[in-house]
Amino acid sequence: MTDVALKIENATKRFPGVLALDHAALELRPGEVHALLGENGAGKSTLIKIITGVHEPTEGTVWVDGEEVTFKSPHDAMDAGIGAVHQERNLIPRFTVAENIMLEAVPTKRGQVDYAEMRRQAEYWLSELDLDIDPDLPVQRLSVAQMQLLEIARALSLKSRVLLLDEPTASITEHEVQVLFSFLRKLKAQGVAILFVSHKLEEVFEICDRVTVLRDGKNACTNVPISDLNRDGVVAHMVGRDNALSDLGHRAPVDAPTKLELKDVSTRIGHSNVNLHAKKGEVLGFYGLVGAGRSELARALIGADKITGGQVLIDGKEAKISSVQDALRKYQMGYVSEDRKGDGLILAHSVADNIGVTIWHKIAKFGGFVTDTMQRKSVRGFVDRLEVKTPSLQQTLGNLSGGNQQKVSVAKWLAAETEILIIDEPTVGVDIRTKGYLHKLIWEVAEAGVTVLVISSDMPEIVAVADRLIVMNEMQVVGDLPNSRDYDEMSQKIMQSIVGASDLKESA
Amino acid sequence: MPPRPDAVNLNELLARIAKSAGLALIVGVLILIFVYGAQGFTSKFNLFNLTRNLSVAAVVGFGMMVVLALGHMNLALGSTALASVMIMGWVMKVAALPVPVAVGCGLAVGSLLGLLNGWLIVKTKLHSFIITLATASMFLGLVLIMFPGGPISDLPREFTGISKTRYFGWVSGMLLITLVAGVVLAVMYRFTTLGRQMLATGANPDAAELSGIPVSRAILLAHTLSGFLAALAGVMFTARQGSALLSTGEDWLLASFLAPLLGGTLLAGGYVSVVGAFLGAMLVGILQNGLVLIGVPDFWVEFVLGLTLLITVSLDRLRNVLAARRGN
Repeated sequence: MTDVALKIENATKRFPGVLALDHAALELRPGEVHALLGENGAGKSTLIKIITGVHEPTEGTVWVDGEEVTFKSPHDAMDAGIGAVHQERNLIPRFTVAENIMLEAVPTKRGQVDYAEMRRQAEYWLSELDLDIDPDLPVQRLSVAQMQLLEIARALSLKSRVLLLDEPTASITEHEVQVLFSFLRKLKAQGVAILFVSHKLEEVFEICDRVTVLRDGKNACTNVPISDLNRDGVVAHMVGRDNALSDLGHRAPVDAPTKLELKDVSTRIGHSNVNLHAKKGEVLGFYGLVGAGRSELARALIGADKITGGQVLIDGKEAKISSVQDALRKYQMGYVSEDRKGDGLILAHSVADNIGVTIWHKIAKFGGFVTDTMQRKSVRGFVDRLEVKTPSLQQTLGNLSGGNQQKVSVAKWLAAETEILIIDEPTVGVDIRTKGYLHKLIWEVAEAGVTVLVISSDMPEIVAVADRLIVMNEMQVVGDLPNSRDYDEMSQKIMQSIVGASDLKESA
Repeated sequence: MPPRPDAVNLNELLARIAKSAGLALIVGVLILIFVYGAQGFTSKFNLFNLTRNLSVAAVVGFGMMVVLALGHMNLALGSTALASVMIMGWVMKVAALPVPVAVGCGLAVGSLLGLLNGWLIVKTKLHSFIITLATASMFLGLVLIMFPGGPISDLPREFTGISKTRYFGWVSGMLLITLVAGVVLAVMYRFTTLGRQMLATGANPDAAELSGIPVSRAILLAHTLSGFLAALAGVMFTARQGSALLSTGEDWLLASFLAPLLGGTLLAGGYVSVVGAFLGAMLVGILQNGLVLIGVPDFWVEFVLGLTLLITVSLDRLRNVLAARRGN
């Protein structure tokens, strides 16, 4: 047993046209939680993919327990005791909890699956994680947070000595974060080496022992004890300059006519009696816990789902929106999806096509002809303005970093000249610099007269950005609060709205 | 420092050309092999016959390509063609209407049947595989019920003449029809809103829908086009045979997938190559023709074509896996 569980040096990865990783280094000791930080595109994912055998490094060496290793496939890495929980879900929805946990190590008896043993082992790992889940439940019935914890349980069941967690807290609640952390502490005590990737610095300071920061594929700092750093120091390493999360400054209260109004709106998904309004040029924030029905309401508004009752008024007139096309073409309304990969963008197509998709019908000549040159001319300005980093407009979008993809998904609606823009989780999986940039952009867009509806589960973000806050809980609006931009005050009011609504329900 | 964002990515352009160039090279090698190894391959009669078959096969391939663009399939291509030519034959021969009217009727029937496929897919939200498998049988059954008397032969010379024109003594005039169809399709995918909408729908239907693309309309039109192209191929085939045969289209299925997939069109949708589909049809046509000439039995030809399809899709899959591993 050496005092280094995993070491990687000179890790370099060259993709066509991009140097994703440039001689990066990292060391994991048994019994430590090691934070890997960096902006989007800094090379974190690439480094993780090298450690887990997904990518072969162009250059560089990996040691596990002091022994040099070469991973040809993710299986090699697993065999070497490296478990990983990726950002993407890797569960099989129709299989049970137990089957998913034991997927890589199905216990057998005389060539047949030993279900009793499988269940027993699964239960053990669930209890280890303090998870109160029925092992016989199909995974598709679980909440997002439960699935996340389940993936961790699975990684552990492989008896991993090195555990990689890529943004494990992105979609779970504060309480579940604490459950996860107390469990990580237990693993630490058992000598597991944990690599923790997160954008939430508070969590890093709470749980991590040492920090490695990547910037532009290089090490900005390597294996530094957390006690030697403070928040500003970490941010400085990440963005290469101090205080990058700049203050948004002051924004005058909006005094303009109402642009969008919802009167007693109910939907097929289960919203009932939703009432709210937004002024022209206003930034309206939507806060709520996961499952509060914010994205679903947005989808109904833009015609992707059915509104079953009530009225939607735009510019004071009743709007009939039966498809996304109606929303876009008749009412200049757009929706930036929270799920870039799933339904927000077409990653296999070019940057130009992804932005142009909303305006083809506008830029076409002679009843439907659009050339690449015409399209480039129309979209180039937006790519420049949003500082999208891409080698060319014809570049396949999937090759860009998450932050740049997010900029593209905003750009396509700016190009469409929307008057009402709904942005769902504008900065999920986006680095600090891009985050600050997007916040400013939201204000800029609102300043130009666009009504912006921002949906976010990030409370500091919503308090910083919104002019007014709509709080939702269980498919209903439970609060409509003017925003003082004082975080302590607003966070309290928001939680009161949510808790108050639940109390009311219980007493009723 | 990244280059100017408007600079066309040379690598990508070269990769695109290289994709077709590789296939063209294989076709070239195959031609050389048969020129030297297969007696009678270069005879004017054989080449005329080859180009005639080829022109039909390429249109069949286009018919499948336009639905593959959506990530769909059209298993009813063959029976759509059959229904179209039987009705065309009836209009021509029994109703004795002018040839252009009859051909127009045939093409209209094909388009309508394609539209029906598209409509069923949009309404039921079922996979095109199962819908067109069902309609394929329905179309075939209906035709057999409607035409108990069998084939309609002795079609007017004015019509069959289409297939008899030749240039340089060996190039079938029907290739012109195929080339026009190919150019129209290439223009549609590269330069029109509609083509881009179809490809976006194929690459990611949910994202396309949320971007305000009329997804249902794109699906309807693509299937209508597929039906039209099936009918067109049927018309060309019938002109060649001189009769509207009940066997029209019965053996098209394999080649209809093989031509576009060989050419780089993605089975999953979102990318097509018209030139590739044409080259793919060439490969299939030449392979069939050459193998028969050197005396390979029919069964083996069939086997080789099946194997080619398997290798094509496997290679495509492998390329994707490798690309993912390189992180591309």
